[in-house]
Amino acid sequence: MHLIKSFLISITFLFVFSANSLAQESYTINGVVRDSLSGETLIGVSLKFNGKTQVGTSTNAYGFFSYKLNSGTYDLSVSYVGYKTILKKVTISADTKLDLNMVSDNLIDEIVISAEKRNDNVVNAQMGFAKINLSEIRNVPVLFGERDILKTLQLLPGIKSAGEGNSGFYVRGGSTDQNLILLDEAPVYNASHLLGFFSTFNSDAIKDVSVFKGGMPAQYGGRLSSVLDIRMNDGNKKEYTAEGGIGLISSRLKLEGPIVKDKGSFMISGRRTYADAFLAFSGDSSIKNNTLYFYDLNAKANYQIDDKNTLYLSGYFGRDELGLSETFGFGWGNTTATLRWNHLYSNRLFSNTSLIYSNYNYVIENFLEENNFKVNSSIRDFNLKQDFQLALNNSHNIRFGVDLIQHTISPGDITASQTSSVNEVTVEKRRGNEIAAYISDEWEMNDRINVVYGLRASSFFLLGPGSFSNYDQDGNILSTKTYSSGDLVKTYINLEPRVSLSYQINPFSSFKSSYTRNTQNLHLMSNSTAGSPTDLYIMSSNNVRPEIADQVALGYFRNLKDDNYEFSAEVYYKQMQGQIEYRSGTDLRGNRNVEADLLFGDGRAYGIELFFKKRFGKINGWIGYTLSKTERQFNDINNGKWFFAKQDRTHDLSLVGIYKASERWTFSSTFVYNTGNAVTFPAGKYQLNGNTVFYYPERNSNRMPDYHRLDFSATLEGKPGKKLQSSWSFGVYNLYNRKNAYSIDFRDDPDDKSRTQAVRTTLFGIIPSITWNFKF
Amino acid sequence: MNLHKSLSPLTPSSKFKALLMLLIGLSIFSSCEKVIDLDLENAEPKIVIEGNVSDQLENQYVRISKTIPFSTNNTFNGFKGAKVTLSTTSGSSINFAEVSDGLYKSQQFKGIPGTKYKLEVLADGKVYTAESTMPFPVVPDSIGFKKLNFFGNTTIYPTVFYKDPANIQNQYRYILKINNKFQSDIVFEDRFNDGNEVSDIIIYDGDDIKSGDTIDIEMQSIDRKVFKYYFAISQIDGNGGPPVAPANPDSNFNNGALGIFSAYTKSSISVILK
Repeated sequence: MHLIKSFLISITFLFVFSANSLAQESYTINGVVRDSLSGETLIGVSLKFNGKTQVGTSTNAYGFFSYKLNSGTYDLSVSYVGYKTILKKVTISADTKLDLNMVSDNLIDEIVISAEKRNDNVVNAQMGFAKINLSEIRNVPVLFGERDILKTLQLLPGIKSAGEGNSGFYVRGGSTDQNLILLDEAPVYNASHLLGFFSTFNSDAIKDVSVFKGGMPAQYGGRLSSVLDIRMNDGNKKEYTAEGGIGLISSRLKLEGPIVKDKGSFMISGRRTYADAFLAFSGDSSIKNNTLYFYDLNAKANYQIDDKNTLYLSGYFGRDELGLSETFGFGWGNTTATLRWNHLYSNRLFSNTSLIYSNYNYVIENFLEENNFKVNSSIRDFNLKQDFQLALNNSHNIRFGVDLIQHTISPGDITASQTSSVNEVTVEKRRGNEIAAYISDEWEMNDRINVVYGLRASSFFLLGPGSFSNYDQDGNILSTKTYSSGDLVKTYINLEPRVSLSYQINPFSSFKSSYTRNTQNLHLMSNSTAGSPTDLYIMSSNNVRPEIADQVALGYFRNLKDDNYEFSAEVYYKQMQGQIEYRSGTDLRGNRNVEADLLFGDGRAYGIELFFKKRFGKINGWIGYTLSKTERQFNDINNGKWFFAKQDRTHDLSLVGIYKASERWTFSSTFVYNTGNAVTFPAGKYQLNGNTVFYYPERNSNRMPDYHRLDFSATLEGKPGKKLQSSWSFGVYNLYNRKNAYSIDFRDDPDDKSRTQAVRTTLFGIIPSITWNFKF
Repeated sequence: MNLHKSLSPLTPSSKFKALLMLLIGLSIFSSCEKVIDLDLENAEPKIVIEGNVSDQLENQYVRISKTIPFSTNNTFNGFKGAKVTLSTTSGSSINFAEVSDGLYKSQQFKGIPGTKYKLEVLADGKVYTAESTMPFPVVPDSIGFKKLNFFGNTTIYPTVFYKDPANIQNQYRYILKINNKFQSDIVFEDRFNDGNEVSDIIIYDGDDIKSGDTIDIEMQSIDRKVFKYYFAISQIDGNGGPPVAPANPDSNFNNGALGIFSAYTKSSISVILK
């Protein structure tokens, strides 16, 4: 019922705006912008129409643009980073369809973070936003030479690594589960491999990466802190190509080509690590039989049925497998699938319909005969999204739609053989539906002021079947109510206003401000110092309220020297409600009453982010600096006093430099520095039954040592003009071998039990890497 | 504290550290550990109470101490002059007498399973109380040994066999000694093997068991809060998943005292490995 109702509302919107737009008198130009060689659609291409006044637009996530113009003749300039600018005269005397093919500029001696028009960062109302260019990901040095979107992202101000070599990230004081990570619109619940050292995103398969730290447009929702929108390559529409690489940790291969020339194409890309290959060299069978690897598979196909209809089908499948030969097996991974239909209702109304599936699961097996068992846990989504983009007139771009998600969480069923001492346990599944409708308007109020304002109405429905308990202060069950299938257990409705505004002082500087409310109904239970594949998701319920965040931000944006340099300063203040921690001694595994042990509190985060970038030229790169504070307050933790959240880092500095020394050689280097994490160290100890126990008076009142690291990489491109293009990448991680602390543990001195000691664990010293890449 | 690793049902990620070691050991990760000097703050000394009542006819002990700075030697900083009283809901009470600094002893008596005991400690003008209900006893049938292989090293671990009572939530604590030397103090629960013939493998970091060694295991039945207290301490070391952010375990004492009061049943079993 709710689905139908919401859909009707959105249809009503459609008619309201259609009716409204009929009253306008002028013509529409629309079309799709593609890469001339591969036919790949280009996202965020800038189109400028110079007539009596200069006006412009840019392509959407499907390469589509639509713009309303008065009749007349215009000089059209189409520009996109890495491509030759198209200059063209267009005469508008009727509605016009114009598809454009852009020629890649092979001599890209520039590297840029934002693939927009040169001063879009100043003019656009959007703030707290960044795009990562893929050539940047190629060049920035990384651990083991494994190109990694998430680690490159962590070099931006306001986005911080969750730990050494970790692909988890914190945005503006939020935790890792407060990031909405979308791969072709499908949420990815666990974006890391090998306990966080690698991300699940194989950069070969990726076309575009956008991140929102604040001021999220209304079409995004469901997470408090950020949106990371990753789009996969569509595949080459003109010819078959292959590319790949062989590295220390993994090898990659990508194939793409036309299904029907200029109409449809496919892309398939795979990656597998072979750390376990080294195990085979061991003569010891107990080592040989251990397993340790992960793999990823990305695939996508698209077909343009006609001028008005295009279909896309994409999927991701990845898994990690760890095993200790006779005792233990552990596997986890994500599966996503997205079916999309782009449809043009008119030359000004663009529609995208997506059907999305996402599943994350883990399986643990214990093979010991007396107590063998198997645990299977999963979180699964079915999602329908309907999004409309309407170019109402020159100054209003409307976006509206609905987003329906059905979540199912299976916290962990235990199965065991007859001979095992373990009982079979079923922890009830939880089902919840999220239904959201949104509308936003990108409004060019005048030459100086741009506004994006919108509203997202989100609702969450927790459904039966199942038993739902209420708990007292101590976590004892007060009452339990049983619901049958489809019964409504709890409903939450939230309105999320979103406003961003820019005031352009002149063509190269502007002030911006934004206010955003976000809510979250899926919560990750993890009080561990590092994330784990077994971390548990729970839904909002009769005990757990939605998390809510309100963020205000102010920014000053300035480009220098003909947009060659970019500077921005943003301050933000974020307030969070419904933050979750749990009591000490809580065991999440197979626990039917997890909610009994939860504690709820508030959070606040504020800071300033400075960003200075040289965008073009032989030498380019950026400096990002963040000064920030992130705190939490829980009545039952730290005597109710505010304490530093684990993601608090006072200072965070990233330097990135890229130098294109010649046609063939590119050198790059990064330096990162940040204040150590807020942690809890003992401030005393005592003896309990002859054992030492440590005393922790205050939560997170100590600091890990400062973290800093210098990385370097060099890329040698093969001689140009050959059929087989190849390149070598050489890298050094942690060049000066800084012993950064991954953890500090406290224990009795093994050699003298009468003493205690602090032990620092360092994960990565200096690590060289080498990768060979090819393309033909 | 000893590393409380266990292979009990559903503690697969107890081997998280072990898995991390696997990653570290087998790839080219250059992980290393180093003892460092840290300038830790010294909190105001805090009172710690460890109270025990068993189901055996014996002197019961309460240990009261104050916390000491991290940098000092591991000593029991006994607290003198406290007044310690144990009572039951039926109204009977027993006073404990101080026998040495911080050690308080009762006359010999036997706790009764099913009874709720209340321990009251008057120290520094403040009253600290805790309650614990003595569970019904569960006794071990036998001790066995299990050879487990981690990364090519085969180690022998003792295994306790017993029948878990059905439809009752049970918690167990084992204290392992080898040749009369303390090795491990570890807790288990029956959440996943209620009512079954259970074999709990005691995985510990200590002296390896060799043939001819005498293995002593004290098996305790403990109440829920006591279990959670010890489990919380072990979680900091990475039992039951990746290490959690450290915090004081929830004590059953009020007024901010550290420590725990446990009314428990115990039975000991001893074998010599052939």
